[in-house]
Amino acid sequence: GKNCSCAWLFWWSVLCSASQKATIPVSNDTRDLLLATVSEDSTASQIHQSVSALSALGLPLASQEVVSALKARISKEDNVLAIILALLTASRLSQQAELGDILEEIEDLAARLDDLGGVYLQFEEGLEATALFVSAAYSLSDHVDMEPPLKEDQVIQLVNSIFSKKSWDSLSEAFSVASAAASLSNNHFHVPVIVSAQGPAAVSHSHPFLRLQVTDVLCQPLSSASVLAESASAVSSKSAVLSQALFTLRDGVFELNFMASQPASGYYQFSVAIAGDSRFVANHVELKVKVSTRVAINNMDLSVVDKDQSIGPKTTRVEYPTKAKASFMADGHQNFAMTFQLVDETTGVELTPHQTFVRLHNQKTGQEVVFVAEPDSKNLYKFELDTAERKTEFDSISGTYALYLMVGDATLENPILWNVADVVLKFLDEEAPGTIQAKTLYVPKPEIPHLFREPEKKPPTAVSNTFTALVLSPFLLLLILWFKLGANISNFTLSPSTILFHIGHAATLGLMYVYWTHLNMFQTLKYLAIIGSLTFLAGNRMLAQKAVKRYKKI
Amino acid sequence: MSNSVFSVISRFVEEYRSSTPNKLKVIDAYLLYILLTGVFQFLYCVLVGTFPFNSFLSGFISCVGSFILAVCLRIQINPQNKRDFLTVSPERAFADFLFAHTVLHLVVVNFVG
Repeated sequence: GKNCSCAWLFWWSVLCSASQKATIPVSNDTRDLLLATVSEDSTASQIHQSVSALSALGLPLASQEVVSALKARISKEDNVLAIILALLTASRLSQQAELGDILEEIEDLAARLDDLGGVYLQFEEGLEATALFVSAAYSLSDHVDMEPPLKEDQVIQLVNSIFSKKSWDSLSEAFSVASAAASLSNNHFHVPVIVSAQGPAAVSHSHPFLRLQVTDVLCQPLSSASVLAESASAVSSKSAVLSQALFTLRDGVFELNFMASQPASGYYQFSVAIAGDSRFVANHVELKVKVSTRVAINNMDLSVVDKDQSIGPKTTRVEYPTKAKASFMADGHQNFAMTFQLVDETTGVELTPHQTFVRLHNQKTGQEVVFVAEPDSKNLYKFELDTAERKTEFDSISGTYALYLMVGDATLENPILWNVADVVLKFLDEEAPGTIQAKTLYVPKPEIPHLFREPEKKPPTAVSNTFTALVLSPFLLLLILWFKLGANISNFTLSPSTILFHIGHAATLGLMYVYWTHLNMFQTLKYLAIIGSLTFLAGNRMLAQKAVKRYKKI
Repeated sequence: MSNSVFSVISRFVEEYRSSTPNKLKVIDAYLLYILLTGVFQFLYCVLVGTFPFNSFLSGFISCVGSFILAVCLRIQINPQNKRDFLTVSPERAFADFLFAHTVLHLVVVNFVG
């Protein structure tokens, strides 16, 4: 009922005002309906819709009533979206109204923003709420002509958050971002400035101009701005190259001829300031600019030096990009040496690029060995090859190797791959492998067979047999002694218990032997129980008879 | 010095031969046999090595245990000790001897491997 019609009237009035109809006939009932919605009992959204409809339709409204209704709603609802709607509503009211309390809500809301890593500032309710807050805050601030209490850092972080996404989840999110962009580029107080290099931030002799695009958040160029490079210093040496250089505007792009200051190749840190409007925010930027150059190779000298230095070195000079006509020979007694200089093509300043490699390629076997050429203190590059020392890298395979020089760096426009000469290397033939195998790193390795625990070393059988005989020999001695003592079995009675006892006893001994060879404890105990009880009963009887006999004798 | 030691030993041997009853001499011969068996086992271990150790232990313990049981039997049978063993007749001593030996050999055979 009331909800639906308010919303409908709101959107209808927006459409109508957009279509710029001067006056729209509205019935009294409609007007009363809208006015009635302005009260504490309606939601902030409803109040916003009815106030917007009323102002779009040009109908009068009591601003003070609206303000008190809004204040009541803020204290009742107290969520971010409600307060934002209150701000938007207040911006539609008359400037004479008491909007101070509502204006303070901007500061309270700003305190509720979450700082994410010092880079982003947004509400936990999300991107849409943050963007709507920005547009509401600036629209109200413009309406009452008071600067919003947002610091420069906060504005920068809000811009980072709002424009962090490249695609949006919903149309309303996209609308909020567009609305925020419009407010940020077109309000009376804060205009964030976006500075970016056109293309890569790199200059060279062929492209001496550093071009910067200076725009607002809607990518509209700020032609009224003046862009000043406050300082530019080399990243490596920290020496200043430029100070207070003004960029000139050409075709909407600000440019500066950096090469005119003749910087050496490398990376430079620029500090750029954008002036021209007191509203500019984030108008100091740091930029890293690369200066590229072309490299030239000078004084490439190749020589074969005898190790004992009895014969003086013969140096051959080769000019880039030609190849040395004769090939160089080096065996165990000689070293092959190469020296050269790398200079900037235009200025002649010595360079030390990141990559200076010497590659030797055996065309027959496909082997490739790469070394690094190092510069000395005077920036003169030296490379020496001692065949005896380096034979492991070459697998001692003699032959003709093509020698290449590779020069590269991020700041070089012309990386170099130059086949300088052919070098014939001779290694001791006996060390060369029979067949040349490709170095395979990723083949299965030889299998490691499992080594079972080796049985302990046993003494020879003869020894153990001897000792077995030795250990059994005392039994013989025992029999002899017993015979000598006259031990006999003359008292042996042939009563059944005696016979049974002896059989049982013998069976126990036999069981012990069988236990040793075949049985386990449980089985043995079982048999022992049977045999043992028989033996016990028989033995008991036998001994009792013996005892009786002994007593009778005594 | 050695003269007196020799005379002591020969006197001891004479006493032993004359005053010890035959039954005890039989047991003494058995004790000597057990002793020698144990000594020879120990000699093997010292000379050749302790492999397999469990067998050596079980054999040696068997000798030691048998020796102890035989000594107990000798003590209990000796008529001179009759007053200490009024409840134990020689037959009972012998039966105990046999039973203890059964238990000992059960353990020894289990351990010899």
